Amino acid sequence: MLALIVRRLLTFIPMLFVLALITFVLSYYGPGDPVRLIMGENWSSDEVYQSLRSEYGLDRPLLVQFGDYLLHAAQGDFGRSYIQRVSVGELIGRALPVSAQLGLAAIILIAVLGIGLGIVAALWHHRWPDAAIGFLGVLAHSIPAFVLAPIVLVTLVLKLKLIATPTGWHGFFSVQTFIAASIIAAGPLLGVIRQTRTSVADVLSEDFVRTARAKGLTEARIIGIHVMRNALAPVTTSLGLTFGYLLGGSIFVESAFSIPGLGQLFFSAIRTSDYPLLTGATIVSAFWIMLMSLVVDVLYGLFDPRVRLANG
Amino acid sequence: MGSNSRAASAAPSLDQLSAATQARMYKPRGPWRAAWSRLLRNRMAVFGGLIVLFFVFLAIFGQAIAPKDPLYQNLLRLNEPPSRDYWFGTDEVGRDLFSRILGGARTAMLVATLVTLISAAIGTVVGLVSAYVGGIVDSILMRFADLLLAFPAFLLAAFLNATLRPPIARNMERFATETGLGFLGNRQVVDFVVVFGALAMVGWSGYARLIRSQVLSIRESEYVEAARAVGVSTPTILRRHILPNSLAPIIVAVSVSFGNAILSESALSYLGVGIQPPTPSWGQMINANLDQWRYYPHLVLIPGGVLALLILGFNFFGDGIADALNPKQRKG
Repeated sequence: MLALIVRRLLTFIPMLFVLALITFVLSYYGPGDPVRLIMGENWSSDEVYQSLRSEYGLDRPLLVQFGDYLLHAAQGDFGRSYIQRVSVGELIGRALPVSAQLGLAAIILIAVLGIGLGIVAALWHHRWPDAAIGFLGVLAHSIPAFVLAPIVLVTLVLKLKLIATPTGWHGFFSVQTFIAASIIAAGPLLGVIRQTRTSVADVLSEDFVRTARAKGLTEARIIGIHVMRNALAPVTTSLGLTFGYLLGGSIFVESAFSIPGLGQLFFSAIRTSDYPLLTGATIVSAFWIMLMSLVVDVLYGLFDPRVRLANG
Repeated sequence: MGSNSRAASAAPSLDQLSAATQARMYKPRGPWRAAWSRLLRNRMAVFGGLIVLFFVFLAIFGQAIAPKDPLYQNLLRLNEPPSRDYWFGTDEVGRDLFSRILGGARTAMLVATLVTLISAAIGTVVGLVSAYVGGIVDSILMRFADLLLAFPAFLLAAFLNATLRPPIARNMERFATETGLGFLGNRQVVDFVVVFGALAMVGWSGYARLIRSQVLSIRESEYVEAARAVGVSTPTILRRHILPNSLAPIIVAVSVSFGNAILSESALSYLGVGIQPPTPSWGQMINANLDQWRYYPHLVLIPGGVLALLILGFNFFGDGIADALNPKQRKG
């Protein structure tokens, strides 16, 4: 198990290297002169231009800059934001815990609802509850987060007048977090429902389930213990596949609800062409997603001893 | 789809083989007919297909049936709710929202078609090269495809759009003035190149993996071995055996990716790095009015609802096609 984790962690290095190279070169060559971007309207003199250029280290060759960037990035230093003039690492450090909690809330919702609805669909296979769940799943999957957010806002705030406009971060256990997490969870839910439905339906047709029924075990015990133990392993994989979606969803939801997380940072970096912030946020999010998918694979091994043995 | 294999193993010479295969190819195809009737029996798929057809119609004829000029700004009537004059109301600069929505349908369908075609084309070429050249080329291409699959494609596409737009716009303008092809300097064309290019660049990897695995597995089959034994050339094997037999999974992948392409474009436009105004795009309409949702909810809900309806149509239709072509592993 430990060897597997170490091996997977080692594959992160070349992937992060390639990603850092691509994003760095693009943000260096792409948008044009960053010094002009920093100066903006306050164009004064060539001397100011040159001093800013050397202050941000932009007068050195590209490869030297990239090497320097990598060395600092490995220590959590991603340079300074062009717009906010503060350290990118600090901005990310402040935003990451918020996004991580929001993501955790969303993944809990996805797991509970996805597995629950998937089991219901499998038990009523090809009958109306199955069809209804399938329909609702596709419906939720088809409404983009940036459309669902205003729909929820208009319904809850304007029509039903249940809550005031939710903005900002109010902690993990709050109505605002629940609403935001539900919107993020709506899209990826479908994959988990379908995976649970398929694997539960497969396990239900196994011989040992018939044996358990013949022994006279209650249906709750059969589903809860015998079926779930065998059906959950592939479901963890499908949960792992949702992490990319969570990040995409959090960009829209955090910007719509003004939640100060990584998605909000990404959103404002794109809108203000803040390339150091954009590059840093991209690399950190990619690392975060890779780390989460490793965690899921480890969990998979814990659920299913066959995988653990095969991977050593 | 075993018809080709029987023809190949029964025929003693190349002439007869192609004659026999040809004769079979012009006959109605059993499996395709069966899949078609399974699709028509699936009510959700038919429903989705009708929605998609409706939007195809709007994309082609929308400008002709639009009641107003989508760019005309009536500055006396800003942000009006739906009325008899303006069916969907007016937007923040007094344009007719209904006509703008019709224009957005054309953009959305163009994105769905072109992004899917470009990604599938790149993916097919990469997959074929990977499978046939093999060795180091194969592993480099596939590592690269894995890299793209591992990251959220949307993040990379947004990054590409944010960074590559200025240099591409610069170069296309220069190219347009140098060659006299004025349309290349058009802002709308530049937009399309940047957005479609970025989405295709992050979207080809799935197709490449699919094509590669199809080629590798079909190439090892007995009927291809037989065809090779009687001296059929590689291009002919590709065209006559590998292409028809890998068509079903490719169609499934393509049908699923239409909705994703529209979703990605509207998300990019929502972030402000997609299609730029005044070209109508639903995502950008939502973005322009999101901070006004309290006062003018229709400016956010109408483009959002239309966008969700089209994606829903594509998803139902795509799922129906997947079910019809893989009757053994039904999903929903």
